Amino acid sequence: MQAADAGAGGGAEGADDGADGPGSPGGAGEATAAALGRAPPVTRPRHAPRPGGDAAATAGRTGGRTYVFALCVPFPSAVEAEIACGSLAPDAEPHGGVVEKQLTVRGSVLAVRWRATNPRLLRISIISFLDQLSLVMRTMQRFGPPATR
Amino acid sequence: MQGFLPGDTARHHRAVILDLLQEALTEAGLTSQEIDCIAYTKGPGMGAPLVSVAVVARTVAQLWNKPLLGVNHCIGHIEMGRLITGATSPTVLYVSGGNTQVIAYSERRYRIFGETIDIAVGNCLDRFARVLKISNDPSPGYNIEQMAKRGKKLVELPYTVKGMDVSFSGILSFIEDAAQRMLATGECTPEDLCFSLQETVFAMLVEITERAMAHCGSQEALIVGGVGCNLRLQEMMETMCQERGARLFATDERFCIDNGAMIAQAGWEMFRAGHRTPLSDSGITQRYRTDEVEVTWRD
Repeated sequence: MQAADAGAGGGAEGADDGADGPGSPGGAGEATAAALGRAPPVTRPRHAPRPGGDAAATAGRTGGRTYVFALCVPFPSAVEAEIACGSLAPDAEPHGGVVEKQLTVRGSVLAVRWRATNPRLLRISIISFLDQLSLVMRTMQRFGPPATR
Repeated sequence: MQGFLPGDTARHHRAVILDLLQEALTEAGLTSQEIDCIAYTKGPGMGAPLVSVAVVARTVAQLWNKPLLGVNHCIGHIEMGRLITGATSPTVLYVSGGNTQVIAYSERRYRIFGETIDIAVGNCLDRFARVLKISNDPSPGYNIEQMAKRGKKLVELPYTVKGMDVSFSGILSFIEDAAQRMLATGECTPEDLCFSLQETVFAMLVEITERAMAHCGSQEALIVGGVGCNLRLQEMMETMCQERGARLFATDERFCIDNGAMIAQAGWEMFRAGHRTPLSDSGITQRYRTDEVEVTWRD
């Protein structure tokens, strides 16, 4: 399987993510932010743990953590990246929204981004995604190349 | 001994699916260009195994530029049953490890007339088999059926028909307890318990099917799903049908049990009628009621 190494083109994203969350101050804002599955805006703690450089935990003011994981998967062409995205995006995450996953295609790269408050479910989701990604790639290798449109 | 585990099942599917796909094309003597559409199971069922197959279906649909059809598993059983038996408009008893429903077609829907309010009948039988440590080879249901033939004593069990619906979890807990007690005292044999469980649950299924047939004025009954292989169930249904002047249709184990061809059959009906499943709507769903589908291929 091609470079699914998060270090190659994705990986640790820390409290910067909080910056795109709703900037409302106070408890109500954080509750809303949490409900939307986003990290509330915080300054990065100086000694924030960064295990393996692949995931980062952001400590919110409420004490809850949002974990973020990102993966970039290069494909031989944009068409193939789009096909992989089309195959892997439609199925909803189990456990109703505890783990959010977003797939986008940038050129010939499939970019996948996770947000979760539960590290165990996040890990399960990532592993499951990698299994399905591997299957999609094997399918494309075996039954490709894409027919001309 | 345990039932099917989603993770293991998904792993199995991922390991074999591409070889199977190639084999199917080779055996049919077809190239990908000659394929008209790709049908796959949208649900209901276990999540991980469903996803493992859906991603392959979506991938080849995109690679080959073919339309996609997400099929309801229960409707797959019904359409295969209709095709194989030639039944025109039957009342369907769909019984398996995962489902227990009485279904009849009416105005563009496969309407559920009756169903289990808790566990499926096959689930009840399989879990009882585990209590008695009955072998899973070839299947627990098959082995219960063989043992039941040697049963002599009818043990009274709770009979739980609730209007048009049935319930099995009460019977299961009752018989799990009774088994410990009665086998210890030698009051009955495991064969007697298998016999009694079958007689009771099958009578319940016959009753709710008959009720639906009376409601619809139906002259045909069709049994589909893995438990439909059971000859005693077929026998009891046949008796009821004869008493009503109706005809019973049933299939053998090649078509009762879950199979890919049934998904293709339902997919073909859907395709002919103009259904298409856009990628964005193609997500699998663990809960997918039979009556959610608009059945546009029948009048």
